[in-house]
Amino acid sequence: MGLALKDLLRAHCLPQRLAGHCGGASPFPFPEMAQDSVGLSSDYQFWMQKVSTWDQASTVETQQDTCLHLPRFQEFLRQMYEALKEMDSNTVIERFPTIGQLLAKTCRNPFILAYDESQKILIWCLCCLINKEPQNSGDSKLNSWTRGLLCHVLSAFRFDIREVGLFTQGLGYAPADYYPGLLKNMVLSLVSELRENHLNGFNTQRRMTPERVRALSRVCVPLITLPDFEPLVEALLTCHGCEPQEVLWPEFFDAVSEAFLLKKISLPTSAVVCLWLRHLPSLEKAMLHLFEKLISSERNFLRIERFVRDSSLPEAACHPAIFRIVDETFRYALLETDGAPEILATIQVFTRCFLEALEKENKQLKFALRTYFPYASPSLVTALLQHPKDIPQGLWHQSLQHISEMLREIVEDQTHGSYGGPSDCWFAFIHFGGWADVAAEQLLRSEADPPEAVLWLLAFSYSPRDGSQQRAQTMEEVKAVLGRLLKLLRSPGFSARDVQAAAGQSREEAPRPLECGPLIRRLLLNFLLWAPGAHAIAQEVITLMAPTREITHEITGFLDQTLYRWDHLCTTAPASRKLASELLTELRGQV
Amino acid sequence: MESLLQQLARFSEVLAVSRTPHVSTWDPATVRRALQWARYLRHVHRRFGRHARIRTALERRLQSQWRQDSGSGPAPDPGLTNFQALGRCDLVLALRLLQNRALREAVWHALLQQVFPGPGVPGADEETLQGRLAHLARRRAAVHVLRLHGYQESPVVQEDALLKTQAEGPGGLLSGLWERGPQDNFLKVLAAALLLPPPSPRPQEEETGPGTPNTPGEGHHELLRWLLGKADILAAFCRRLPAGVVAAVAGRHPELSRVYLGLLADWGRHLHYDLQRGVWVGAESQAVPWEELYGRFQSLCQAPPPLKDEVRTALESWKAQDGDFEVPGLSIWTDLLLALGTGT
Repeated sequence: MGLALKDLLRAHCLPQRLAGHCGGASPFPFPEMAQDSVGLSSDYQFWMQKVSTWDQASTVETQQDTCLHLPRFQEFLRQMYEALKEMDSNTVIERFPTIGQLLAKTCRNPFILAYDESQKILIWCLCCLINKEPQNSGDSKLNSWTRGLLCHVLSAFRFDIREVGLFTQGLGYAPADYYPGLLKNMVLSLVSELRENHLNGFNTQRRMTPERVRALSRVCVPLITLPDFEPLVEALLTCHGCEPQEVLWPEFFDAVSEAFLLKKISLPTSAVVCLWLRHLPSLEKAMLHLFEKLISSERNFLRIERFVRDSSLPEAACHPAIFRIVDETFRYALLETDGAPEILATIQVFTRCFLEALEKENKQLKFALRTYFPYASPSLVTALLQHPKDIPQGLWHQSLQHISEMLREIVEDQTHGSYGGPSDCWFAFIHFGGWADVAAEQLLRSEADPPEAVLWLLAFSYSPRDGSQQRAQTMEEVKAVLGRLLKLLRSPGFSARDVQAAAGQSREEAPRPLECGPLIRRLLLNFLLWAPGAHAIAQEVITLMAPTREITHEITGFLDQTLYRWDHLCTTAPASRKLASELLTELRGQV
Repeated sequence: MESLLQQLARFSEVLAVSRTPHVSTWDPATVRRALQWARYLRHVHRRFGRHARIRTALERRLQSQWRQDSGSGPAPDPGLTNFQALGRCDLVLALRLLQNRALREAVWHALLQQVFPGPGVPGADEETLQGRLAHLARRRAAVHVLRLHGYQESPVVQEDALLKTQAEGPGGLLSGLWERGPQDNFLKVLAAALLLPPPSPRPQEEETGPGTPNTPGEGHHELLRWLLGKADILAAFCRRLPAGVVAAVAGRHPELSRVYLGLLADWGRHLHYDLQRGVWVGAESQAVPWEELYGRFQSLCQAPPPLKDEVRTALESWKAQDGDFEVPGLSIWTDLLLALGTGT
């Protein structure tokens, strides 16, 4: 999967070269067959041969092959219909002389008729064969034949048990009632057999053999999206027999995974967990699907949250194995994109949703934190887990101090102790992004001298790989800027130029765009939001700060994230909030 | 309401005709009207599904209709047999017409166009006729696929899906028999079934559970449970069968005796004392007359204990509730107890 993810991320040039979202079509269009008529004719030959080979799909091989091709065959049927509906009956026969054969053979294959919308499209194709104005007996014969085939599709596969038919008729039971009821009962019966298998292992008389379970998973493939089958799909996923090897047919997993991602089937979390644990590619596809959605839409914390919640990943990640795989995928994505803010944001949102789900979990068996974050010390994780909203604001500086000290110890410890080094603890830290944001805000809102621990924390969060000297330099720079900004606060009024100067540019030079790193930008933005006199000049400063689309993108991201965070912390700061919203709207309008 | 019932009757006729060669006289407009009608009745089904009174009235009319129809001819027409069927009447009509070779070709083409207009028609698949027809075809294919390649028939009768589905039927196998009548015979057979001798206790040689086959004892259970679930059939059972028979069944099945007593109490309370004639009479003509009530209680008091004692106790307690009079004419329970004597 790494390769697919890499391609996906590269294709969207996440690192710093693209700002804003990619409008328009997804980068991986569905493999569509050629639309022109030449393409259709060659496809026709291909499918004609296939359908003849499959016949009624009564052998394992023909069943397997049919199930593998079902989605593409349906697409072909759709294209045929689009072509046929433009022609009249005679033209159809001219263009596709063997079409009757093709459609008839299709009708004989119950797996095709059982799949998705194939039976409906088949009926539409048959309707196209009808000659509205039959001129001769040949036309009438064709009509009669088509009529027969249509009726066959609609009422095929009667239970050819005469007594049953008469009996149900006698009871006033029409097929329209009978078949849904029968299907329901058959599914129920199979589900209870599977559950018995699951609970009693070897001891039941009616144990389902592994071959039968496998065969069942195979024949279910076309039927996964039929709502009546949900209990059976769930049972197949969650009921294991006693075999050490996987019993279910691999294509079954693929089909379920696809249907689940496209929301054509809804499964309880327990079934999804089983799917992902038993079939790793399904989990990988789910993550790719999430990334695709995130990439192709504008960065917006609410939207990210919605996508993450939609994906069922947080609930499933309560199972440590799944969490580890998801986490490693995130880490990989971070590395590939050099720490793109979108990925960081997603990790934060995911972690929060995951923690919520973990709390709701009622299982007796609760895993230690260590199982989820083996690369970080338990005390660090515990400290990071505390959400700022659970701690009184006055005590935030204490938590920040504590976290900073712990991180510093790990980072500066040459022996690396028993846990990972700087990159591991940075990775753990960014899961809980709230603290870095709080640190920056706190620095701007307090009048006191900035505590060194907090400075260190900020410097670390933006540049984890710096050496200690580089970091010390950064801390000095930040301290200087902070000092100048706080002086501005105390002065009666200040202009955008003043702010520019505070950020480190000398006044004498001609006005030019503000150049500074993301950390300084963050400080400036916080300043603008919190300083009482800054609201008037905020727009101007931002214009100075943001010459490129990338930086504008970064700033909108920051504003969006800040508003989102304030909502969750229930921070009441109406003036700041208003300003942030206005700035955000303004900037978004520009892009 | 009356107009609705009339429409129902007329549509049932149309549905019956749709299978016959008579449709050769139909033209596209007729077909369109018939389908519209069916759509309207489907709307009725949705609208009044929760409206108990209207639903019951419609159901009763449909069932009496069906009883009439089933009298004639060997294979009755399973058209509209109950309220549920209204929800699918357009499906049934469409299928019948599509399969009717007597329909003229041009008319059939028009029908096809109406039933399968193609994609681009608004509405979810569960709503449109073509969606539901396709869905039904899909389910039929699913049943076929399962039956041939996955499902195994169960030796356990009540678990076998095919048999279970037939048993569930519209209202069930027994209800179907009740509806078709003759009802008195049905009730007698039912009583006889409930009075069958109990089975000898089986040795516990194998583990019991859902896998064990059906025994007559268990069948009794099912039968009784079914009966207890059908208030109107139960009322008919207790009312129309002779006192002695009901008493015997009640003696065998305590759950039934409880319900029976409840019914008797209800019937008793509907009588009032006619001062001039000195007798207990009912207000309506269907009310259970005193003589019958007495006869039923007499049979019950002649039943073996514990039923006999239960009945006595009940009578005493009702008498006490009424005021514990010893004088006749004030409480029917007093009078009944007086009539029954101190009992043997």
